[in-house]
Amino acid sequence: MDPTIVEFIGEKCMISIIPNFSNEPLHLIYGSVGPFRAGFPVFVPLWLAAHLRKQQKCRIVPPEWMEMETLEEIKEEEKRSKFFTKMPSEHYMVVAQLVMSTAPDDVPRCEELRTIIKDIFDIRESKLRTSIDAFIKGEGTYAKLDNLTLLEMHSVRPILPYSLDHIARYQRMATASQRDTSMMNTTGGGTGTGSMSNSFFTQ
Amino acid sequence: MSRSNKMFGDKAFDLLKDLKRSAQTIPAFDDDGVRQVLEEVKAIFEENVAQASSYSSSGDRSLWPLLNYRHAALQRNKRCLLAYLYERMQRIKAMRWEFGPIIPSDIKQALCEPEVQFFNNYSKSLAAYMRSIGDGKGIDLTGNLRPPKSLYIEVRCLENYGKFELDDGEIIHLKKNSQHYLPRAQVEPLVRQGVLQHIA
Amino acid sequence: MSESENLEEALNEQELNTEAAYAEEDNDDEDAEPITAQKVLEILETAWTNEMCAPELLQHQTDMLELMLSQVAHMEEQMKDLDKNDFRFVVHQMELERIRYIMASYLRCRLQKIEAFTQHIINQDATRDATDKRLSPEEAKYAQEFASHVDEYFNKVATQYMPNQQRGEAEQRVVAPNLMSHVFLKANVAVSGVIVGVDDEEVDLAPGSQHIIPYQLVSDLIQKNQAQLI
Repeated sequence: MDPTIVEFIGEKCMISIIPNFSNEPLHLIYGSVGPFRAGFPVFVPLWLAAHLRKQQKCRIVPPEWMEMETLEEIKEEEKRSKFFTKMPSEHYMVVAQLVMSTAPDDVPRCEELRTIIKDIFDIRESKLRTSIDAFIKGEGTYAKLDNLTLLEMHSVRPILPYSLDHIARYQRMATASQRDTSMMNTTGGGTGTGSMSNSFFTQ
Repeated sequence: MSRSNKMFGDKAFDLLKDLKRSAQTIPAFDDDGVRQVLEEVKAIFEENVAQASSYSSSGDRSLWPLLNYRHAALQRNKRCLLAYLYERMQRIKAMRWEFGPIIPSDIKQALCEPEVQFFNNYSKSLAAYMRSIGDGKGIDLTGNLRPPKSLYIEVRCLENYGKFELDDGEIIHLKKNSQHYLPRAQVEPLVRQGVLQHIA
Repeated sequence: MSESENLEEALNEQELNTEAAYAEEDNDDEDAEPITAQKVLEILETAWTNEMCAPELLQHQTDMLELMLSQVAHMEEQMKDLDKNDFRFVVHQMELERIRYIMASYLRCRLQKIEAFTQHIINQDATRDATDKRLSPEEAKYAQEFASHVDEYFNKVATQYMPNQQRGEAEQRVVAPNLMSHVFLKANVAVSGVIVGVDDEEVDLAPGSQHIIPYQLVSDLIQKNQAQLI
């Protein structure tokens, strides 16, 4: 899964817009949106909101949590807590980034918000790194990841599962070689030539 | 043995190293290298067969390490050779997705005959599969490679192009450094020509 | 405007048609419930993310794909005569682009696994009942063809020149996915007593809880839709 896919998934989030046109409801496969009435807020998927905004057909109403006071609280709570706190949106980074890049004029105190959201993300990322470090040193194979958002998981996606897989592989090999130290290891764990050639090229 | 400073498997490993280092889409098939590796495999195998029979008849334990050593060398040769072919196969497959059913002629020269054959077979099977999806409705899987951002894209104009008429009759003035939000399909030719630049 | 109103009506009808078609298709099944296009899409989206994250090939979704492809084709048909700059046209077109991407990405992801683990997947499917096969009939055909193309290529270039005894190692070259590789998991419902480690350590998964865990320990939960990969 690459970052563009994480963003693609996040773009499904519903967001409120205020259209400057009127139209009957649209029956999308994802579900119906509208009716659109000029000047009245209506919920649409983020991808649609971004499109309409770029065509200057609407204003975006930032989600409730995109506001300094709320985010200050979240930031303090995130600093205080040993665990990951629950974010107001599962895709808070994607939503914030998309809204602020498409419609900076629709977001009061946009620059400050950008900074504090980045701060929150950074606090969580460093927490994530610390816990991963402890987790790997503790030789765990299972962990609970509550309240971690998709983008945050994605930020450790290649490296964390791969490291765990490698550690597990070494452990299996160690066990195997203890079992029969006398036997010559000719095939290397029985995964076959093909997969070994794979790992050769992905090093 | 004949080459005193060379070890078993060196040539096979070279095949892989050269392939990995090559900056080309796919370097020329190393006919000579592959042949040498196959010869080494054959030679090692024959030596081992000869000595294995004397080992089993005489029970001479001193031959045991040598037999094992040769066997490992043989396995390594095969592993490297097959890895070489496997990696080339991956690149040949990737070309089908990138260039479509016809191999560009400059690249075709780098392939050996069985590889060209493989490409054609792969291409045919893939096309047949894509046509058969969804009860014969078909999907072109080589398209839609990235998540769609928008039917419209933001572009910056790199030169004074002048007037540009959209399908709906709207006239856009493309001035150097001006920015526009336009239907992707209609402006893509201009992006390819370098008149417009796609900005994120 | 009347043209686009007709379009919306027609699209609406199509949703009902899809429901009817599906209920009919499964009418020997007592529990068959009408399914909306929205539900079909949700199922496909989940199948897509699961497939992207799972090390092994998961069960095919031919029925759902066919329903969605019909829906997309029908919409395209309805939209054909519409002004390309109509607000509705653009929005529907954008949505269809997203859905086409999901379907294409999903099938590509499966093809990658089929090509990487060809023989392993064919062997496994041979032991499964017709209803449990992981490969769709089209994929099964493709897998067979691909396997024989690869064999032919390897044989022509190398294996035919290898000493007799060295050729019979095709079994050794069967590549299987590492089922113990770690995945990110989200529980859809409460699941109790999931073994999470080598020492039979057990945990209960709360709905919505997230975990990192070796795939094999939870593959049955994915199958039963009690959890999904993220």
